[in-house]
Amino acid sequence: SQPLAGGQTAELQSKVVPSKQIIHSDNMEMEPETMETKSVTDYFSKLHMGSLVYSCTSKRKNK
Amino acid sequence: RMEASCLELALEGERLCKAGDCRAGVSFFEAAVQVGTEDLRTLSAIYSQLGNAYFYLHEYAKALEYHHHDLTLARTIGDLLGEAKASGNLGNTLKVLGNFEEAIVCCQRHLDISRELNDKVGEARALYNLGNVYHSKGKNVANAGTHDPGELPDDVKNALQKAAKYYEENLSIVTELGDRAAQGRAFGNLGNTHYLLGNFRSAVLAHEQRLLIAKEFGDRSAERRAYSNLGNAYIFLGEFETAAEYYRRTLQLARQLKDRAVEAQACYSLGNTYTLLQDYEKAIDYHLKHLVIAQELHDKIGEGRACWSLGNAYTALGNHDQAIHFAGRHLEISREVGDRSGELTARLNLSDLQMVLGLSYSTNNSMMAESHAVENSLNGGRARGRRYSMENMELMKLTPEKVPNWN
Repeated sequence: SQPLAGGQTAELQSKVVPSKQIIHSDNMEMEPETMETKSVTDYFSKLHMGSLVYSCTSKRKNK
Repeated sequence: RMEASCLELALEGERLCKAGDCRAGVSFFEAAVQVGTEDLRTLSAIYSQLGNAYFYLHEYAKALEYHHHDLTLARTIGDLLGEAKASGNLGNTLKVLGNFEEAIVCCQRHLDISRELNDKVGEARALYNLGNVYHSKGKNVANAGTHDPGELPDDVKNALQKAAKYYEENLSIVTELGDRAAQGRAFGNLGNTHYLLGNFRSAVLAHEQRLLIAKEFGDRSAERRAYSNLGNAYIFLGEFETAAEYYRRTLQLARQLKDRAVEAQACYSLGNTYTLLQDYEKAIDYHLKHLVIAQELHDKIGEGRACWSLGNAYTALGNHDQAIHFAGRHLEISREVGDRSGELTARLNLSDLQMVLGLSYSTNNSMMAESHAVENSLNGGRARGRRYSMENMELMKLTPEKVPNWN
């Protein structure tokens, strides 16, 4: 590649054309994550309703 | 009684977190754990909420720890629904930490259990989480390289296509459930996935849906996000006027919401858009606004970008004094933040500008030599229109009338 000062002037006749890349995808705005929630009151209300049974589990024996 | 006090502390923690004070909530939950309880389901709920509180506080290592405790506990007591929830939360946390493979395993577990339990709501939420993990995974690999959206290596494309598939599956369930808020979230992230895949028309369609739902809910933050994302998509569709309109709405909402950081981002986007429209006065106006806020927020990276952009815009207008001033500031800031490529870009800019101004280089020999070395290493032949990249941007070349005959 040539030193700048010796560059062909004709080649420098370029227009100002910025790249579309000017805006980078980093500026994308994502939606928030959703976290699953538990509450001690879920269990609490079950206690008060006298229902300690929850689905899909059978009573385990203490080993 | 000990038992009651653990519960009381946990309940206060819940109340505080619901009120948005996670930091205080954490203290109460930690205290509840200290007191302890015989009841493993209560403990599981405390761990889960501690994990979420730390997640919202961006303390992900701690979030990981507590969600992991929760998962272990849920398995111990055979609480399948609890296990599904803990797996989902663990998956989200692993995603943020960049551990995508493990995140996928956890989110998949969340999905499998939800299906096993015929829990449609859980299934939809797991699908959304999976979409997010694959989106992050794709974006993460994509960011390692430098290419426009739509020009992607296969592994990136695969991950993003999977993300789109999961968002679509989520959408079909939440549409069936009539959950508009969940639809809004899925549309937003689906739009961003299409954007990265280079499907800009599809991205616009998704973000328009997102916008509609945001307005339904009066959710101005979501509305602002949609405008910003629509602006980005229209840039790549080459419809700069439309992009400018959306960015203007973004800016308007950012000001209403009093969010200086997003206001700065909107100004920056507008500056870039007006540069693309070759309206340099307007571009300078917005880049200056961005610069002021970046300085106010002590955002050195943003300040450097603003100076770089201003240097280019002033160069385009032929205002070389200002161009030199900002190119010099850009050089200083690049050095300050240790941005090597920014520093070299700034050097090249300055040497070009000094040449245009016909300054003597005798004092700048070493700088010029270094610039040449860099230029050659970048394969940036002058003859092809030298490309300087900074943040994936291309330096605007000097306009012909500003270029003197050097021979």
